[in-house]
Amino acid sequence: MYKYISYVWLMVAVLVAQIFLLDNISIHLWLRPMIFPLVILLLPMEWRALWVMLIALLTGLLMDISLGGAGLYVASLLPLALLRSTLMYLATNRVVEASDQTSLLSRLSLRQLMTYLALALLLHHALFFLLETLSLAHPLRLVATILFSTLLSTVVAWPIVRIFVGKVLGR
Amino acid sequence: MQRLLAFIKQIYVVLIFVLIEGVALWCYATSTPYTEAKILSRTSAVGGAVSGMVTDVKHFFSLSDKNRDLTARVAHLEEMLASRIADEGIDIDSLSSMMNARTELAYRYYPARVVSLTSSKLRNYLVIDRGADDGIAANMGVITPDRALVGYVVSCSPRYSVVMPVLNEKFRIGGSLAENNYTGSVRWSGTSTHHVDLIDLSTYADPRLGMAVEVRSERLPEGILIGHIDDFEFNATQTAYRARLHLAVDISRLDNVIVVENSHYGEIEGLMETMD
Repeated sequence: MYKYISYVWLMVAVLVAQIFLLDNISIHLWLRPMIFPLVILLLPMEWRALWVMLIALLTGLLMDISLGGAGLYVASLLPLALLRSTLMYLATNRVVEASDQTSLLSRLSLRQLMTYLALALLLHHALFFLLETLSLAHPLRLVATILFSTLLSTVVAWPIVRIFVGKVLGR
Repeated sequence: MQRLLAFIKQIYVVLIFVLIEGVALWCYATSTPYTEAKILSRTSAVGGAVSGMVTDVKHFFSLSDKNRDLTARVAHLEEMLASRIADEGIDIDSLSSMMNARTELAYRYYPARVVSLTSSKLRNYLVIDRGADDGIAANMGVITPDRALVGYVVSCSPRYSVVMPVLNEKFRIGGSLAENNYTGSVRWSGTSTHHVDLIDLSTYADPRLGMAVEVRSERLPEGILIGHIDDFEFNATQTAYRARLHLAVDISRLDNVIVVENSHYGEIEGLMETMD
């Protein structure tokens, strides 16, 4: 029960930070940190994909309503919920078992955790910026935006991931 | 049946994903005219190619009709030309110099064919088989071969263009009464696919039923017909007329169109921007 409440707090904290802080910081046109995918990425890996998708839908809807995305946030977040296990396999070579009752995330090495996080954020940011621009007229600018924003998002999200995985899931 | 249910049970997560993702993308695509036009132009690259093939087959079977119409039109034009030469004594040299002068005019014309269109929504669009590679660009006017207004280009891919027709709630263009040049603004209220409204028409305009309304815009030359007045009344504040026009073109049956480029359009727009 304690862990479920922790997930609710994580969701609230990440969304508040995204909506009220990160979205109001104008660093550079190519640098847009987005950490709200953490809500999906840090959910227990053994959860059924359907529940993860419903939480992704809820998170995306909250973002769309708050920031006027009109479906953009849901559309870019939902594939992450479906492909989370595949991303974990690509990053760590581990297959997620449905019967796994202990948190897989807390058993990963820091390097594996970082790879999983960066890969997932890269996929999300690529989908998000492609949908947002709907144009390949400036491919270099698009690629640079995706890469630099992924890098910045990973840097911003990393302390949150470390604290959550270490202090909450590691108990 | 049991196998089908078992199969659905296996893939239900993917099905739900496709459903929610589809709804989210649809909401996003229809949220602004930009996304709508962009997604339509992207899908038109694929859909346009398929529709183009279907249209090619249809055109093949309607070639004899087109040929007959064209022959009749050529005959009619030749008759008009002969009549003018006889009436006004125009010689071939002066005719040639007139034609050379015409090529220096501001407007260029590009024939195109409609490959897909919608006419049942509030924001209708149509896709034509000419794009940026053919010299088409946004803001070029689109008319029918018999000089009736269709709309204007809003987006181009290399081989296709998306046209916002008059049957789109976002469409705006100037329209003036052919008889006295009083001008108003033409827009579509979405109630009928055969009617548009001409609003803000001066109280001195003296509109009458059946009067022709033509385009008054920097995108198109003079003499492009929008439609004829079906009904008119004062607006709520009695400060202007509001006229209901019967469109000269049936958008849902469009086939061949002509894209019109005003080579002075950029200059006019630049001039207007300095006024803002």
